[in-house]
Amino acid sequence: MSAAQTGTLHIPKVRKKDMRAIQISFLHMLKFMKKDMMLLAAGLSPLLMGAAIRLGIPAIDKALRSFTGLSQILGPYYSLFDIFYSAITPSMFCFVAAMVMLEERDDHIDRYLFVTDLGKRGYYISRIVIPALVAFVISAVLLPIFRLAVSSFAMILFLSFSGTLQGIIIALLVVNISSNKLEGMALTKCASLMMLGAMGPYFIERPSSHILFFMPSYWTGLVITEGRAIYVLPTVLVSVIWIVILSCGKFRRYT
Amino acid sequence: MIQVNNLTFSYSKKPFIEGLSFEVKAGEIFGFLGPSGAGKSTVQKILLGMLPNYEGSAVVGSVECKKHGSNFYQNIGVDFEYSTMYEKLSARENLEFFSSLYRLRHRSIDELLMAVGLENDADKRVADFSKGMKSRLNFIKALVHDPKLLFLDEPTSGLDPTNSRLMKDMILEEKRRGKTILLTTHNMQDATELCDRVAFIVGGKLFALDSPHNLIMSKGAAKVTYTWIENGEQSASCDLTEMAGDKKLRNLIAENRLQSIHSSEPTLNDIFMEITGKTLV
Ligand SMILES: Nc1ncnc2c1ncn2[C@@H]1O[C@H](COP(=O)(O)OP(=O)(O)OP(=O)(O)O)[C@@H](O)[C@H]1O
Ligand SMILES: [Mg+2]
Repeated sequence: MSAAQTGTLHIPKVRKKDMRAIQISFLHMLKFMKKDMMLLAAGLSPLLMGAAIRLGIPAIDKALRSFTGLSQILGPYYSLFDIFYSAITPSMFCFVAAMVMLEERDDHIDRYLFVTDLGKRGYYISRIVIPALVAFVISAVLLPIFRLAVSSFAMILFLSFSGTLQGIIIALLVVNISSNKLEGMALTKCASLMMLGAMGPYFIERPSSHILFFMPSYWTGLVITEGRAIYVLPTVLVSVIWIVILSCGKFRRYT
Repeated sequence: MIQVNNLTFSYSKKPFIEGLSFEVKAGEIFGFLGPSGAGKSTVQKILLGMLPNYEGSAVVGSVECKKHGSNFYQNIGVDFEYSTMYEKLSARENLEFFSSLYRLRHRSIDELLMAVGLENDADKRVADFSKGMKSRLNFIKALVHDPKLLFLDEPTSGLDPTNSRLMKDMILEEKRRGKTILLTTHNMQDATELCDRVAFIVGGKLFALDSPHNLIMSKGAAKVTYTWIENGEQSASCDLTEMAGDKKLRNLIAENRLQSIHSSEPTLNDIFMEITGKTLV
């Protein structure tokens, strides 16, 4: 897709046998991650966060209800927690990948890998596509364990998918805009605000909430609150537009 | 091995590399000589398919660089002008990783480390390496998959004389093993010693292309420089072939008053200045 966008840029196709180098490159990233406490912690955080939500939120809700005597406090927002959780898990994985990519850029390793058997396309596949696939699977496994409200299989798949797209967008934003790891960490916090779009449908009246149309998570929120499958379309569309724009920027940069 | 024809490229709107044409034959060491900012690294990057927005043609092997496929890099080894290593990992971990990316032919990492005298530092983090150690490590990294074509960007810069010697011997050894080598440098001695042919480039343009020997012989004759004492030390020089016609020199010889006398061939550096009007460095 980026080749068409930039016109002259040629990125070779990946053949089956090239998967070998991609696989090695991906495994190398995992090894690299194990050596870095911060990245390891980020990789494990979805488990802790999931447990905290699953056990903490209903307990807090119960305490608040008995304290105030109200019948509903957090209950209506349980699905919002599910949306957040489904985005946090992939975002953490994509964040780890983004950090590794920034470190590789600092050490000039990315451009070296471009001129090995791995190649440019192979590099991005091993650092973005495969981590995203793994994140999707892990999200789809963890969400049923730690969910508060959503129950249908289709919903869980959808949330994992839209969360994964969100994770890719955050990773691309971070890799594109920041020039080193430190900036990357600061930027991840800002980029993560994109997840807050999901709050729109819960707290803002329609149609003024549509002002958040550019955030994919806003549409994810609508899918859940309105219960209408049609909103899956804009969720995917807005995400893909983000991803395409961010990918072109990156591929066009001289190395 | 490499054919470049009417190559034109620029990073910006301003023209930079214009109408560059040359050929590198299989098995030769081809040198790019030029001052900083001449475009030496840029040409290497184009040949490596890293800058596809060029005009004209640049064919490596039999592949047009901007259209290369995924096999293109199997037979290419690259030593960039800066270190390209995971600083947090050891030398051995780095080499093992980069080597594992290639499917074909792997050279022994221990032997390579030994060859550049790094066998005792193999398990040290690259971050703790000195500049010269990093240069040597980067060089052998380009050899792990035993490529047929080597791109070396200033391989001897930052090395002490001993290691510079060692590196040059290794480059010549790779040539003996049948590799084609394209190197850039601003060190004239290295170029004279290593290269079968050199290209002078300044401001993105090619000024001369020939063997160092031919370049030196074609231009400027050998000179004789002599000194004597006359109100302090004086010196003068003349062409070697015109010595007999130099009256002052003949007088000095007749009167036994010469302090010193020596002849010198022009160096590649002199030739470079004569042709391009620029100094190196
Ligand atoms: N990525 C880039 N984007 C824009 N301009 C660049 C880029 N890389 C190099 N240049 C410019 O291109 C020119 C040539 O750079 P290049 O690295 O090819 O020089 P060089 O001959 O290798 O010099 P040196 O001997 O210092 O390594 C310089 O003016 C440089 O500023
Ligand atoms: Mg250079």
